[in-house]
Amino acid sequence: MAMLRGTLDPLVLKTVSWSPMHAFEITNWIEERSEGHVQIDDAALLQALHRLEDRRYIAGEWGVTENGRRAKYYRITAAGRDYLRTEGARLVDHLGAVISILSAKTSKSRG
Amino acid sequence: MRFDIRPGVRRLLRFPIRTRATIKRDADEELETLIACRVEHLMARGMSADDARAEAMRRLGASVDQVRHQLHTNADQRERRMRIVDFVESVMQDVRYAARGLARRPAFTAVAVLTLAIGVGATTAIFSALNVLILRPLPYARPDELMKASLVLPAEGGHPTLTVGFAYPTYTALRSLQHSFTIFAAYTAEPVTLTSGDVERIWDEYISASYLRTLGLAPAWGRDFDRALDAHAGAPHEAIISYALWQRRFNADPSTIGRIIDIDRAPWTIIGVGPREFRGLSGQADVFLPVTAIAADLQRPGTSMLSIVARRAPGVTTLRAAEEMSTLGGRLANEFPNRMGKLKWEVSASALDALRLEPLVRQSLLVLFGAACLVLGIAAVNVASLLLGRASARRREIAVRVAMGAGRGRLVRLLLAESLMLALLGGIASIGVAWMGAHFLASVDPIAVFRGMRQSAATIGAVAFSSIALDWHTLGFALATSLVVGLLFGLTPALHSSRASVSDVLKSDRTVTGVSFGRRILVVTQVALALVLLVGSGLMVRSLAKLLSVDVGFDKSNLLTFSVDPVDPIAEEALPGFYSRILDRVRAVPGVADVALDSCVPFAPTCARLPLLQKAGPVPEYDYEKVSGMEVVTPNWFSLMHVRLVRGRAFLPTDRRGGPSVVLLTESAAKMFFGADDPIGKHISLGQQIKDAEVIGIVSDVRQVPDSAPGAITYFPSTQSPQQQMLVFVRTMRDPATIASGLRKAVHEVAPQLALSDMQTMSQREGRATAQNRFRAMLLSAFALAALLLAAIGIYGVLSFAVTVRTRELGIRIALGAEPGNVQRLVIGEGLALVTVGIVLGLAGAFAGARLLRSFLFELTPSDPVTYLAIVVVLGVTAVLASWVPGLRASRVDPVIALRAE
Repeated sequence: MAMLRGTLDPLVLKTVSWSPMHAFEITNWIEERSEGHVQIDDAALLQALHRLEDRRYIAGEWGVTENGRRAKYYRITAAGRDYLRTEGARLVDHLGAVISILSAKTSKSRG
Repeated sequence: MRFDIRPGVRRLLRFPIRTRATIKRDADEELETLIACRVEHLMARGMSADDARAEAMRRLGASVDQVRHQLHTNADQRERRMRIVDFVESVMQDVRYAARGLARRPAFTAVAVLTLAIGVGATTAIFSALNVLILRPLPYARPDELMKASLVLPAEGGHPTLTVGFAYPTYTALRSLQHSFTIFAAYTAEPVTLTSGDVERIWDEYISASYLRTLGLAPAWGRDFDRALDAHAGAPHEAIISYALWQRRFNADPSTIGRIIDIDRAPWTIIGVGPREFRGLSGQADVFLPVTAIAADLQRPGTSMLSIVARRAPGVTTLRAAEEMSTLGGRLANEFPNRMGKLKWEVSASALDALRLEPLVRQSLLVLFGAACLVLGIAAVNVASLLLGRASARRREIAVRVAMGAGRGRLVRLLLAESLMLALLGGIASIGVAWMGAHFLASVDPIAVFRGMRQSAATIGAVAFSSIALDWHTLGFALATSLVVGLLFGLTPALHSSRASVSDVLKSDRTVTGVSFGRRILVVTQVALALVLLVGSGLMVRSLAKLLSVDVGFDKSNLLTFSVDPVDPIAEEALPGFYSRILDRVRAVPGVADVALDSCVPFAPTCARLPLLQKAGPVPEYDYEKVSGMEVVTPNWFSLMHVRLVRGRAFLPTDRRGGPSVVLLTESAAKMFFGADDPIGKHISLGQQIKDAEVIGIVSDVRQVPDSAPGAITYFPSTQSPQQQMLVFVRTMRDPATIASGLRKAVHEVAPQLALSDMQTMSQREGRATAQNRFRAMLLSAFALAALLLAAIGIYGVLSFAVTVRTRELGIRIALGAEPGNVQRLVIGEGLALVTVGIVLGLAGAFAGARLLRSFLFELTPSDPVTYLAIVVVLGVTAVLASWVPGLRASRVDPVIALRAE
């Protein structure tokens, strides 16, 4: 399923707000949390990470994974938390509205 | 105190910027890690290596190369945006820094901005004149195609090359023979009297019907002349009036078209209104009449006054067109021989653009522009000196910045920002100065004055000082000049100080130990440039003073003249009575001491000059040098003008019409035509009008123009040969300007149908006759004074700086018992030493430069020792004055404070 526009950034921010993670940990965490419903293209994820880093919402630092690989670990910044707070709330409102429209009962003739 | 920073610390202070390559390498590595982690994760769940790899690729969403490319592009874009933001931020920082620095030192800023404003403003004002008068294209369609042809009489036996107009038959012959031009036109300017409504003297232009079309112009209102009019003589009486006349006399009323105006009593129908601002190529015409309407008059032999203007055909070069005209001219010279000498006429054609200014006016402008550039140079040197002084005072601050890791480029930019901001402020202030200057130039208008005096067939009058104004070109010039000055003179100190060795500067306790050699050189340059300008202006002023004090041969004070011209010609017998009634009435006006008549305008070389023949002697060859002016005067003219009778007798009331013809000669005339012989009692003839007149006396010389030696003049009594048009000379008992309106009224009482014009006091006429000289003297003096002031500021600035940095040394000297007077002399001596070097260099420059002024000088050589001596004294005194204050401060240094400051 394709990602809804504007949902990726808050998802990534929310994920790294738990603890610093590298790219695969982020995508894996989101996938497991959504029980496989949300799968992110790796290309899109990397672009999102770089975009967020550029905007100073997250800060990356090179570290080493448990398997001994060099990986970039991202943590959320203060500006990122502010953004997540407003943008996350807006996204929840928006999705709630979408859900209420889609789950409303339709008339039988159109059924 | 030892002060150094460990390299590691310095690196930390520098802003860390990742390079492009690292950013891309990081992105690639991150991508690899992500793929590898996913593969490992899948394999840990039991997938085969190949399947895991395939699945990882699927999850990537695109090929590895595509993703890599995408990431790189994004990185590049971000990087670019970052750099711009960084750059803007750092520029803003520089600007803020510069503004703060300038605001902290208001005196420094004010002096630098004012200096620039004067230098750039003066140059811009003169540039605005150059722009209008020389550079800007003429206001006609495709002006580079236009050419003007003139009839030239080559130099012969001492007379200079003469440029005159074409006779009408010559013009029509040229027109039909030529092939170089697509359209061919003729014009000639002439004063006429507007006799409908208020009688007024105006200029007309008799033009061919093709005239406006040739210039690519069309009437603003009404229609142009029918081109068929050019075919043969006898055009209807139709007129096009100038836009200016239309506004002035007809209130810009559209129904003016079709109305009749009377010009010299003849009715002309107005068919059109000329283009706005257009006053003909003569620059002063108010009516345009078809030349074919008076072509019958123009067929008379000896009338040669037409100028030719024509538009080159496409593909014909200026050179080829000129060659053709010259060839045709050679052919025509045989048909229309030159009655004035042996040599044949030549036709010379040149681009209209080359004839827009009198050569002397052009030369004046270029000299003035050069002078303005010198002022600009001095101003720029002052600014450079100020910036250098400021830079050396800030060496410590700069060294600290370098120590903290500021890059050299960044530092230069920081310092440059300050000088550029200074230049910008100076540029804006200079526009104010330039505006005033341009306004002044537009109001003096030395050309209009010049043109009124000497109708020159060689040049056109279409460009005028009065149209000098600031436009975008001049504003651009002002800003560009100040920015170049700011950049050039800000860059040197900036580079200089950014090179400063950190530890050297920080180690020494005092920031500076003396005035740099560079600043001394700058002061010497300034003094030298100022001297060149001062000598130039000194020569001009002395030349003008000589011109004004020259004995013109008559009493110039309290004298007023005006021209009277009967609208209807008066019978010759009635003329003496007509004029004596006017003179009697004018004499009765309160404040008038005496009134006389003369046929010639004073201080204007417009009078007829004719060969004088002795009755007894042989008929000489025509000689341009041997001509006499011819003036018809009332007998009392000599006593009114205070012109002395040297020998013989004056005119008497008994010298009447019908009696024996008598004349008076000036001393120059007597010497020129009779040499050592006594002319009294000899009989002469002059021109066609005067035959067999007896010389009865000799009077003292009178100058026709102030700047040339008195020429030969022959006077005739108006009682014997009366003229229609005369000039009334009024000697007044008080300021003549105060009774001008009374005179006008008095004349109109006696003769209402009389065109009264050109009323001027003699000092006004003198002012006009010397306008060019005044113009040059005034402007050069203004520039020289500005240069002197700027040089004084330069000397003062360097010496006070020197005193400041030598406070300690001076303190020691005073502590050891030096007299305050000695200390002051020390400083003044230093100032004088700089000035002396400058004077020596400047004298060399002035000797060379003054030759350019030779043609502007009146009875003065370019190496006039009095001028040079005076200027050297002026500069010396200025130097002493400029060093006085720093010297005084030096002598008052308190040794206790000076030494404790260490």
